[in-house]
Amino acid sequence: MAGPPSARTRQREPRPHPSPYVRTERPISPFAYYATIILVYIGTDLIAAWGLNLEFGVTGIPNLAFIVFVASGAYTYAVLTVGPTSQFGGAETYIIGGRVPAFVAIVAAVVVSGAFGALIGLTGLRRLRLDYQALTLLIISFVATGVVGANNSIFNGLDGLSLIPNPLEFVAESQRAWVYVGVVAVLCIVTLFLVRRLTDGPLGRALRAVRDDEDAATAIGKSVLGLRLLVQGIGGALAGLSGALLAGFIGGWSPSAWGYLETLALLTAIIIGGRGSNRGVVVGTVLLLGAFLQGVQYLPAIGGRPDLIFDFGWIIVGGLTIAFLFMRPQGIFPERRPRYAVGESDAGGGASRRFGLLRGSGTPNRTSALSADARTNEAASSGVAVDGGRDDEVAERDRVALAGVVATRARTEQAASYADILVVEGISRSYGGVRAVDSASFTVPKGSIVGLIGPNGAGKSTALGIISGFIRPDAGSVTFAGVDVTRLAAHRRARRGLVRTFQLTREFGKLTLLENLLVAAREHRGESLFGALAGRRYWGAEEELHLERARSLLELFGVTHQANKLAANLSGGQKRMLEMMRALMLDPQLLLLDEPMAGLSTAVADRVEDACIGLRESGVAVLLVEHELAAVERLCSNVVVMAQGNVLVEGEMANLRRSKLVQEAYFVG
Amino acid sequence: MRLLIETIGFGIFSGSLISLGAVGFTVQFGISNVLNVAYGAFITLAAYLGYIFVNDAHFSLWPTIAVVAAIVGVLSATFNRVLTRPLARRGGSFVAVLVATVWSGITLQYIIVSIASPSTFTYAVPNGTTVNIGYFVLTSTQLIVIGGAAALMLLFHGLLTRTQLGQAMRATAVNPVVARSCGIRIDRVTDVAWLISGMLCGATGVVLAATTSTFDASLGTTFLIYMIAAAVLGGVGQPYGAMIGGLVVGVSTQLTGAYLSPAYEDVAAFVILVLMLLAWPRGLFGSAASAAKRLAG
Repeated sequence: MAGPPSARTRQREPRPHPSPYVRTERPISPFAYYATIILVYIGTDLIAAWGLNLEFGVTGIPNLAFIVFVASGAYTYAVLTVGPTSQFGGAETYIIGGRVPAFVAIVAAVVVSGAFGALIGLTGLRRLRLDYQALTLLIISFVATGVVGANNSIFNGLDGLSLIPNPLEFVAESQRAWVYVGVVAVLCIVTLFLVRRLTDGPLGRALRAVRDDEDAATAIGKSVLGLRLLVQGIGGALAGLSGALLAGFIGGWSPSAWGYLETLALLTAIIIGGRGSNRGVVVGTVLLLGAFLQGVQYLPAIGGRPDLIFDFGWIIVGGLTIAFLFMRPQGIFPERRPRYAVGESDAGGGASRRFGLLRGSGTPNRTSALSADARTNEAASSGVAVDGGRDDEVAERDRVALAGVVATRARTEQAASYADILVVEGISRSYGGVRAVDSASFTVPKGSIVGLIGPNGAGKSTALGIISGFIRPDAGSVTFAGVDVTRLAAHRRARRGLVRTFQLTREFGKLTLLENLLVAAREHRGESLFGALAGRRYWGAEEELHLERARSLLELFGVTHQANKLAANLSGGQKRMLEMMRALMLDPQLLLLDEPMAGLSTAVADRVEDACIGLRESGVAVLLVEHELAAVERLCSNVVVMAQGNVLVEGEMANLRRSKLVQEAYFVG
Repeated sequence: MRLLIETIGFGIFSGSLISLGAVGFTVQFGISNVLNVAYGAFITLAAYLGYIFVNDAHFSLWPTIAVVAAIVGVLSATFNRVLTRPLARRGGSFVAVLVATVWSGITLQYIIVSIASPSTFTYAVPNGTTVNIGYFVLTSTQLIVIGGAAALMLLFHGLLTRTQLGQAMRATAVNPVVARSCGIRIDRVTDVAWLISGMLCGATGVVLAATTSTFDASLGTTFLIYMIAAAVLGGVGQPYGAMIGGLVVGVSTQLTGAYLSPAYEDVAAFVILVLMLLAWPRGLFGSAASAAKRLAG
C-alpha cells in the first residue's frame, strides 16, 4: 500500500558513491584517489554542518530536511552545467543544456538553495511547537526523494543526473582532485570565518535568545520570524554550496545521495561535537562523517553480505546519538559564552550584605534607594548606622544613575503633546465563547504607576497580552505615546518603548545574566546581517556603551557578582530581577509588569518596589499587575480593578478598599 | 464510477488500518507529550515477528496478531520507561526527545535488516474470498480487518469512558500534575497507556504486512507518514480524531493512487498533514479550551 519500494527510505550506501562515469581510468594513485574523495566529503560536510549548526545549534530551528537544501544546490548546479546531449541520451538531452560556466552555476546553487531555505522558513509564520515543525520537515525529507525520484523530466528520476562537469575542468586531470581539495579547504575557511562572525557577536546572541525563548525574544523587540528567515536563508545557501561542490566533484547526483538519514547524520555530528559550537561541529563532522561513515564503506563485507557493514554503521550512530542525548547533551565541546569583566565592589559578598539591609532602620516612608550594597558599604566604612539623611542621599544618587541608564527616551517625552502614555479603549478577546476581556478601557498617564488588580481570571494577563501585542484583540484599540499600535507586531511595540515582563520568568537560559541584558539592547548595529559580517570593528564601540549600561543596572540591582553565570542557574528572585533589568535595557517609556513580586522574599520584593519608584521618578510609566495589594497601595496613584473581563472601577487604592463592588468581586467573583 | 467506488472501498480498508495505528500514536502523545517516531519501526518489528510466527511456526493469522500485539505492547512500555520518559525528565527538550525517537526507530530498523536480510518478504496466508457488496469489492480478510478494527476502537472507547483506568488516562492526558495530586499513579497509567498503544501498533503491523503483497524493513517508516497525517488531522492527542483522520487519509491516498499515480500516495498524506498544520494545527477535533491555554500561556 505504500508506494515505491525501499530504495527511497532505506539507503544501502550512507554516502553517494563516486560516479562510475567520471573516472573509468584513474589518472592518480589509489591512495590519492580515496584520500581526495574523503577530504572533499569532509569539506563539503563541514560547510553543510556549519550551516545546520547555525540553524539548529544556535537558533534552535530543528531543520530535519536540511539535506533537501543540499540536494537543491546539487541539482541546480547539475541542471545548469550539463550539456545538451550526452552519450547516454535520455534525460540529459531534455535538459536546458545550458553549459553554464561552473562558477556561475555554483553561485546560482547558493542563491537557489538560500531562497528555498527562506521559503520553507516562511512556514514559521504559523507558530507550531518545535517538535511538530521538526516532524513536518522530516516528512518533507521522506517525501521529497520520492517526488524527485518519480520525476523523470528534469532530474532523471531515481537514476539521477550524471556527467556533471567538474568546475575545475581547466586543471590537468592528474592534479584536479588535489586542487579540488584545496579549493574546498579554502571555501571551508571562508565559511568558518563568516559563520563565526554571525554566531559570535551580537547577532549570534540574539539568535540564541530566539532559541532559548522565542516569546521573551519577541518581548525584547527581536523579530523572531525575521531572524529565523535570515538564518534559514544563510543555512540554505551554505547547504547549496556544499551540494554544488559535491555534485561537481563526484559528477553524479541522484535521490540515493540525499536520503533523510543524511540530515540525521549531520545532526548527530553536531550533537556529538557540541550544539552551537563551531569548533565542536568540526570535531563531530570529522569523527563521525569523515572517519566513521566514510570509513565503513571501505571495510570488507561480513558473511557475504555487503549491506551488513552499513547496517551496523547506522546502528552504531543511532546508539551514539542516544547515548550523547542522555549522558552529555551539551556535546564534547559545549557552547562557550563570553565572560565580561565586572566591578569588584561586591564580588564574594555574603547574602546578608545583599539582602535584608535594603532600608535604614525604621524609615517609614518608602522613598527609593536601589542599591543596598552601595549603602551598606558606606555604612560599613563610616561605621555609622544607615540613617534617614544618608538614605535620601543614596536614593538620590541611585535615581540619577537609573535615570541615566534607562530613561533617556522617557525624558524626551516630557514635552510631548499627549497626557497619557497608554490609552486602552474597549479591548475585547474571547476564547471559545469565554470572554476573557470584555470591552475594557483605561489609561496610564505618562510617568505614573497605575495598578491593575482583580481576582484570578479577571482578564488582567490577557489585557497585558493585548497591550503588548502578544494577543490579538477581537475589538478595541491600544494607543501608545499618541500612536495607534493596535495592529503593530509585539516586537515593534517593544522597540518603541512599550515593554512587558512575564508572570512566569522567562530567561534565556544558555546566555549569561549579563548577556541576557545585552541582548535586549535596541537597534544594536551588530545585529544586522551586514553589521555582524562587518565584525567587531563596526559594532565594538556600541557594544561597549551597552555593556556600560548593563553593568550599571547589575550594580543598581546588586547582582554584579552573578553577571557571568548562566541565567538558567540563577535563583527565582534573581530571574525576576533579570526580567526587570532586561526590560529596562530597552529604555522603555512604559513598562508592563506582570506580578513582579509574586513569590519573592520581602527583601527582593522591596528592591523591585524601589525600582518602580525610581522609574517613576525618572519619567518611566509603569502598569503594574500585582496581587500584593499593600505594595500596589504604596506605589500606585491610580488603580484599575478588573473582574470578569470588565473594568469594574478605578481610583485610589485607599478608596477602593472600602468599595463594596471591589470586595464583592474579590470574594464572590 | 466503478473505479471510484472500488477505490473508496479499499480506502476504507486501508483507512481502518491507519486509524488503528494512529490511535496508538496519538495516545502516546496525549499521555506523554511525545511524538514517537520510533512507532514506525515498531510497526516494522511487528510485521517481522508476525512473519516468524506465520511462516516459520505456522501459526494462523489471528492468534499471531494477539501474540505479536502482546510482545510489541511490552516492548513499547519498556521503550517509554528506559528512553523517552527518563530523557524528558532530565529536561530534554521536545526536539531532543524527538531526535532520540527518530534514531531509536532507525536503529531498530537496521537491527531488523541486519538480522532478516534486506530482501522482501511475504506472509503465507490466504487472501480470503472476494466479496461483492454493491459496487464494493473486498476480500473476506479485508472485511474482517475493517470489522476487527471497528471492534477494537469500540473496546478502546469503552476503556476510556467506562473504566477507572480510562478516566485516569484521560485525566493524566489533560494535566499530569493535577492528576498526580488527585492520587492517580501517573507513572503506572503511562505504562499502561504505552502498553495499550504498543498492542495497537503490534496488531496494525501484522495486519498491514499480511495484507500487502510484499514488505521490507521500510514498511513502518512509510506507514508512519499516514498515521501521523491521520493523527494531525484529528488533532494530535485525540483518539477519536485519529479514528476519523485515519479513514480520511486512507480514502484520499487511495484516490490519489488510483487517479494520479501510486507514487504520489504518500505525497497526498503529506499534503494533508502540511495543510492541517498550517491551517488548523490543533486538528479538526482540537478543543477551543486548549487553544485558549496556549495563547494565554
